[in-house]
Amino acid sequence: MPSDSILIVGGGPAGLEAARGIAEIGYKAILVEKRDRLGGTPDEASYAALTPHFKNTDDVLGAMIGAITSNPLVEIRTGSTVKECSGAAGDFAVTLSKDGKEEVVSTGAIILATGFDHFDPGRETQMYGYYEHDDVITLVDAEKMLKQHRFVRPSNGAVPKRICFIQCVGSRDRQIGNEYCSKVCCGIASKQAIEIRQIVPDANVFIFYIDMRMYGYWENQLYWPAQEQYKVNYVKGIVTEVLKKGDKLVVRGEDTTMGRPMEIPMDLVILSVGMEPSTGTKALAKLLGVRQNKYGFIEAIGEPMDTVSTSVEGVFVAGAAAGPKDLEDSTSMAGAAAMKAIATVRRKSAITAKV
Amino acid sequence: MPIEIEIPILSADKREWKRPAEDIEKDHTHELLFELEAQGELVVQRVPEPYSEVDTKYGRKKKIPLQHTWHHKSCGQCGHIPGYSTSIFWLHRQLGLEYNDPKDQTSCTAWNYYASATSNAAAQAAVAVRNFAAAYESGYFPLIHCGTSFGHYKETRHELLHHADLRKQVREIMAKLGKQLVLPEEIVHYSEWVHVIRDRAAQKRVYDCSKITATVHPACHYHKLVAEDAIYDREIYGGQRSAIVTSTLQALGVNVADYSTWFDCCGFGFRHILVQRDFTRSFATMRKIEVMKNEANPDVTITHDTGCVTTLDKSQFAAKAHDRNVGVPVMSEAQFVALAMGAHPYRVVQLHWHTTEYGALLEKMGIDWKTRWEEFQGDLEAIKSGKKEFLTWEDADAK
Amino acid sequence: MEQTRYTVRNKYSDVPYEVKEQLFREVKSDLRFTDYLYGCYECGICVAACPSARFYDFSPRRIAQAVAREDVELIYEQMNDDVWECSQCFSCNRCPRQNSPGGIITVLREVAVKHGLRSAKEALGAYGRVIYKIMSTGTQVSPDMLQPDAFPDWGPQVLDVSKNLDTWRKAIPPETLHTTETAWEIDDKTIIELYLIWHMTGVMNMIEKVDEGLYTILMDVMEEKLEEAGYSM
Repeated sequence: MPSDSILIVGGGPAGLEAARGIAEIGYKAILVEKRDRLGGTPDEASYAALTPHFKNTDDVLGAMIGAITSNPLVEIRTGSTVKECSGAAGDFAVTLSKDGKEEVVSTGAIILATGFDHFDPGRETQMYGYYEHDDVITLVDAEKMLKQHRFVRPSNGAVPKRICFIQCVGSRDRQIGNEYCSKVCCGIASKQAIEIRQIVPDANVFIFYIDMRMYGYWENQLYWPAQEQYKVNYVKGIVTEVLKKGDKLVVRGEDTTMGRPMEIPMDLVILSVGMEPSTGTKALAKLLGVRQNKYGFIEAIGEPMDTVSTSVEGVFVAGAAAGPKDLEDSTSMAGAAAMKAIATVRRKSAITAKV
Repeated sequence: MPIEIEIPILSADKREWKRPAEDIEKDHTHELLFELEAQGELVVQRVPEPYSEVDTKYGRKKKIPLQHTWHHKSCGQCGHIPGYSTSIFWLHRQLGLEYNDPKDQTSCTAWNYYASATSNAAAQAAVAVRNFAAAYESGYFPLIHCGTSFGHYKETRHELLHHADLRKQVREIMAKLGKQLVLPEEIVHYSEWVHVIRDRAAQKRVYDCSKITATVHPACHYHKLVAEDAIYDREIYGGQRSAIVTSTLQALGVNVADYSTWFDCCGFGFRHILVQRDFTRSFATMRKIEVMKNEANPDVTITHDTGCVTTLDKSQFAAKAHDRNVGVPVMSEAQFVALAMGAHPYRVVQLHWHTTEYGALLEKMGIDWKTRWEEFQGDLEAIKSGKKEFLTWEDADAK
Repeated sequence: MEQTRYTVRNKYSDVPYEVKEQLFREVKSDLRFTDYLYGCYECGICVAACPSARFYDFSPRRIAQAVAREDVELIYEQMNDDVWECSQCFSCNRCPRQNSPGGIITVLREVAVKHGLRSAKEALGAYGRVIYKIMSTGTQVSPDMLQPDAFPDWGPQVLDVSKNLDTWRKAIPPETLHTTETAWEIDDKTIIELYLIWHMTGVMNMIEKVDEGLYTILMDVMEEKLEEAGYSM
């Protein structure tokens, strides 16, 4: 029997927005999330304010979650994972597992919104010492502190006076195998730099970069205010080593604009880690037989004009499961995926009705 | 009223890195090596058993032979730090591991490649393969003493595996020499062998090393040139830097101290050490020795390549004359392990070839170097007077 | 041929553009080149790790950039003025684009030597005996090369070694290390094989271009040994 409902895997921004759209149009959405709560990575990783508008993460996610929990057409299944899938577009049978119990649900289309993982700095080929020095942290660790409005050196709890960001950690790197730009790290680093200067007004904040990717309005929302109003120092040149020298860290690189090697003492170093396909994205792609690109992200086969169709009919992708995406990309894709998924179930049930 | 204390946020969950299984790089080098062997393009010499398997940078397991090895000697070690090569051989003898010290071996001639550029890819590949073929014919597996030879042979292997024209050219040259195009299954540096025998060596340690503080200089051509082939260990530096040398010193109970310029080159520079030594001296003393001195004040600095020992050892004299904060003895880990195991500091470790003062270090280890020096003077007298032609292994092992 | 010029100044304007272009063509056609250069986005990682960049006005990034831009004039200038400052430590190999600026320099140097550029001759001027030693004996830095007058900055210990050299060499246990003129004892057969490799791979032609005197001496030494072994030149 063909099904009119649409299964969405992943309860982050893309999954939430897809569920909301499908239900608002009047179709049934089944939202599967492996964690016990909705919100996805921004919630799990304790994002403070979202880039680039500085809106409070909990407020934004709360509104999205509210919109679907109040809609009876959305069936929310948290703490659940996808075990198996059979059938074809219009009539998939998906086995879900929760607390060791399995249940088969019927669905006409599937939207994969399984997201990304933050790059693990242990794989970095530069010498950043994330696993050696407490005062080397990632954007994610920094978000946690910013959320608590308490920004300190993890080693001793003191307020840091010299802080730097190192860009492109785990991105744009053939040695690591991640040749792509992760798209959001320039914006997030600039956002955090502004927040740090708000919390610690006398701190010196540096951003070491290869190219600042501040496209569209991010330029005047983030880059210019960070430079002009918050006096963040942008230095073109990437750090190669973070070394411990007494109580301080020393970052070493080349200031390419000035054409000279630099060695600068720091209290805290923040690694701007990029995106990699999440374990969920990789597992679901295999389970559904969906084609992945060389990096493991799910391939959108109709680009540039169709950003959500995959190599399997009736399976769509939304958000960072398809590659590095910002929130605007993710939620826009969710809308497109919802529309195409609904079109699929309508077309399939119309054919069945004719037969 | 209780005193409020600030608890640091992150140090509570001490970060420990585990390489994800899926991240272990697909081993294209060995895939290609065996593919070309199957196609009859080259001969692969297998690592003899028993061998140890150790992790490389991206998680590939590398086979390190324990014995039955063909010792590809190093020019600079044999020429000016003879205690370096002698200690490697001595360790084999002490552990009862068999080896071959060949005369059918040339230098890798990378001096001609990195220093003067009076060579080319084909010549370097032919020299490498000639040595590999000689090892293969002897039945012993190459163990490479020099870090540069080790790095350069890996570059050469890459070129041979990826360029059919070069393979053809080298095969033709080898045919004229009556040899085959042979590549060993693994290119192995002696320090990797020391790494795998470190616990056995530590069991035979006769001097206490727990009061010794050492700094480690990892050799550029070991861990930067074809970096994926270097040995890493999750227990050492969290798997974030090469484990080599540090692992061995820690096994002996040495306190390995860090310093901020550990990643820097020693300043050797190939042509620089011979004809542009102002660069070498300045770099070795100001970027390495002085930094170690200021930050760690070590009893000794230990490295695992020829050029590094020479550069760091010899450069200190001029700096001392200028009252710089230098004066750290320098030696290879092979020599240090031998000393700890009771090797004679002159007959085996040949410390009289070193420039920096090592007396204080030996005393701290409990080695009576003055008596040993007297014994060695006796050996030299016997040689000079013709009573003895050469110092032998039996002499070296005499108690 | 249209000439792309990025530089206003042209230091070697006396050398025809076509000559410089030919040298660059040779660099590009080397089998190692495609592994050594992909592209460069000027992150500076190569410079940060470079010992020579701390001491000289030298930058592996500028070399990679010039070669990536195919700036023939600038490459020629670097081939003359910069490449010999590199330490060949390959700290620059950690380039995120997987370039090897040090490897590019190896190739640039080889082309400079092959064409006998004046700068290459100068750079190798004091280096003849070093090349001679390795090519003729198959080992380098032999014990007898450490002469005190050449190494005054290494202190009196060098004098000790040189004074006691014969005895000290005999007082080393491994039999292969009793030599003074070579780093270890090498079979004649092995040396002959090495000479054949030098001849068959064009290395002798490179030496002829960069140091004629050295070439003559080397040829003499080799010829004698090769003839003894039954090879005719």
